[in-house]
Amino acid sequence: MTPLIQISGLTKTLTGQGEPRPILSGVDLTVHSGDSVAILGRSGSGKSTLLSLIGLFDRPDGGQYLLGGKDITRVPERRAARLRSEEFGFVFQRFFLLKHLTAAQNVAMALVNGQGWAARRNRRAKVMAALEQVGIAHLAKQRPPRMSGGEQQRVAIARALVRQPKILLADEPTGALDTETGALVIDVLHSATDRGCGLILVTHDHAHANRMRRVVRLTDGVLRPEPRGVLI
Amino acid sequence: MALSGKLRSAVVIGGQGIRARKLRTFLSMISLFLGVLAVVAVQAGSEIANRALLADIELQQGKDGSVNVSLPQHAKTVEITQEVLRGHPEVVGATGTKATIGEPGVIAINPGPVPFKYADRSQGAYEVVCESNGYCEQRRVENPAPPGQAIELQLVGLTGDIRQFRPFQVRAGQWLDFGGEPSLSPGLVLNKEAATGFAQNRVPAQMRVEGGTADATPRILGVVDDGSSTPTAYVRADELFTWLSPGAATPDPRMGGGASMTLYMWPSSQPVVQTLTARLTGAGADPSQVYSNAVDSRERIGSELDLMRWIFLGMAALVLLIGVAGILNVGLATVGERIEEFALRRAVGTPRLLLAGIVLAETLIIGLLTAAAAIGVGVVGLQLAGKVLGSRTQLLQDVAFPWQAGVAGVAAGLIAGILGGLLPAIRAARIPIATVMRA
Ligand SMILES: Nc1ncnc2c1ncn2[C@@H]1O[C@H](COP(=O)(O)OP(=O)(O)OP(=O)(O)O)[C@@H](O)[C@H]1O
Ligand SMILES: [Mg+2]
Repeated sequence: MTPLIQISGLTKTLTGQGEPRPILSGVDLTVHSGDSVAILGRSGSGKSTLLSLIGLFDRPDGGQYLLGGKDITRVPERRAARLRSEEFGFVFQRFFLLKHLTAAQNVAMALVNGQGWAARRNRRAKVMAALEQVGIAHLAKQRPPRMSGGEQQRVAIARALVRQPKILLADEPTGALDTETGALVIDVLHSATDRGCGLILVTHDHAHANRMRRVVRLTDGVLRPEPRGVLI
Repeated sequence: MALSGKLRSAVVIGGQGIRARKLRTFLSMISLFLGVLAVVAVQAGSEIANRALLADIELQQGKDGSVNVSLPQHAKTVEITQEVLRGHPEVVGATGTKATIGEPGVIAINPGPVPFKYADRSQGAYEVVCESNGYCEQRRVENPAPPGQAIELQLVGLTGDIRQFRPFQVRAGQWLDFGGEPSLSPGLVLNKEAATGFAQNRVPAQMRVEGGTADATPRILGVVDDGSSTPTAYVRADELFTWLSPGAATPDPRMGGGASMTLYMWPSSQPVVQTLTARLTGAGADPSQVYSNAVDSRERIGSELDLMRWIFLGMAALVLLIGVAGILNVGLATVGERIEEFALRRAVGTPRLLLAGIVLAETLIIGLLTAAAAIGVGVVGLQLAGKVLGSRTQLLQDVAFPWQAGVAGVAAGLIAGILGGLLPAIRAARIPIATVMRA
């Protein structure tokens, strides 16, 4: 079976104020449908950078990136935008909800993105299904400032799921939540893999990492398998 | 389908943006409002002034594009012209002479005739005396007649309805009726100045025409606005000449006798003039005395008025530019505040061009709303000005809001929207998506 994602020898050098710094120096990663991968790594090791390459926010300097068997290493921005819309769902440490919109409108944002068009009723059904899936359908009309952190993050996850993506990318989604709420959020994310969605989770929390099918660690710009059960 | 999806998304996203920042939208509109209003006002003002000037010239000289032809003064001119024009109502001949209405053998109230506000009999009487060599001079009348109740008028005989060239407005009564047989007592239509004279002075209804042999009893049919300040009366040429021998009018020794005759016509009627000239030449008139003059007032006054308009528009543009700076400032600040929103929207797949378009469209909508407001204020302002000042100034009486001013307002709004929105739009398109991961 063709893997969802097949990355080999991916490199990326970032140029900040100082001299160019190689962040990724040959990352290999394969993710299948229904697979879940946790990425661990020290702060500044390049986890977010790697995720931004996988999610087509940015392009790698070298290596190869196959999505469903198709080479998208140098995909132009227009097509990248379409792929982001159709293939990927994103969850970030900060929830990035628009505070002037309701939960439902925030979720609908992923549908109102200039990539195709769903009629209002159709849109509404999809939004409610996604909110249902993360267990906060009753908050549909609520605005983010009046929701708890965990609720807000679940709205963000509903936004990521509403287009039924093939891959979920989550960058420290529990970083701003307490342990219990964090575990709930991981539950919600994990349940998406039951429907064949691939999940890549960046986290500092070993407990959360251990719930994924595979755990890898980013060190010195490459991914290495993490021995299971090092920490509980 | 793809386009409509983009468009609909843009409408939703743009609408959300505007609704979330109502106060800002409003402030942007205010900063732009004065500039757009200035453009609208200048355009409306110059258009109204232009129309008023043109209307005045039209009244006095004829409509733009028409032709005035003056015929040689000859004993037969009036007779032949009347004959030739009988089958051509589209060419109108006008002949001018002087008439006095009131007591006979007195100096009139307004000798000249001059407008009544300049009427002054204290200086004594003057007359123009011409010698046989053609030299004329103004001389004081040594034993002037006593002042009396009489009014002097310019009397204009018309062969047809001149209003097709000079759109006189009937202020009272009615205009001349050129159908039917001429009446034996001449029917006169006065201009406003003449009407003023008759309203202010009581004069007997007895009319003498220069060169005429018998007095007539005129009937006043109506009053028109002809744009002239000389007291004038209009009469059917055939009525004028049924009891006045045509050759006898204005016996000027230089001209071989005969009244002057001016034709009002469109260029297409040139063949009629040729026929007329041939007949006049046959009767002994000098064909080189036929002068033709095209009315091209729009072009003539256009250039003078245009300069003024550009100067004022330049000033209005400056005010508009200040408004643009305001909208630009607000727009840039807004984009700065929305960096995360835009990065997030791009992360969920919104194309960057669409985002830039939305930012631009938001300011364009602000520009157009402002234009609509400014045009509305212009329309209402003009109506109010017409109500308040209309009785005092002819210029503002029932003027419609010129559509050119509306177009200028919309154009100003659009230009301001583009100028004020382009930079923020480019900024918005350049926001890196990875912003959402580093925040
Ligand atoms: N635009 C940039 N230009 C240059 N250097 C950058 C840029 N963005 C990030 N970096 C650097 O790249 C390195 C990797 O950053 P990245 O955000 O991927 O780390 P991370 O592993 O996600 O860290 P954390 O766990 O703290 O989120 C960091 O040292 C960071 O300073
Ligand atoms: Mg990170």
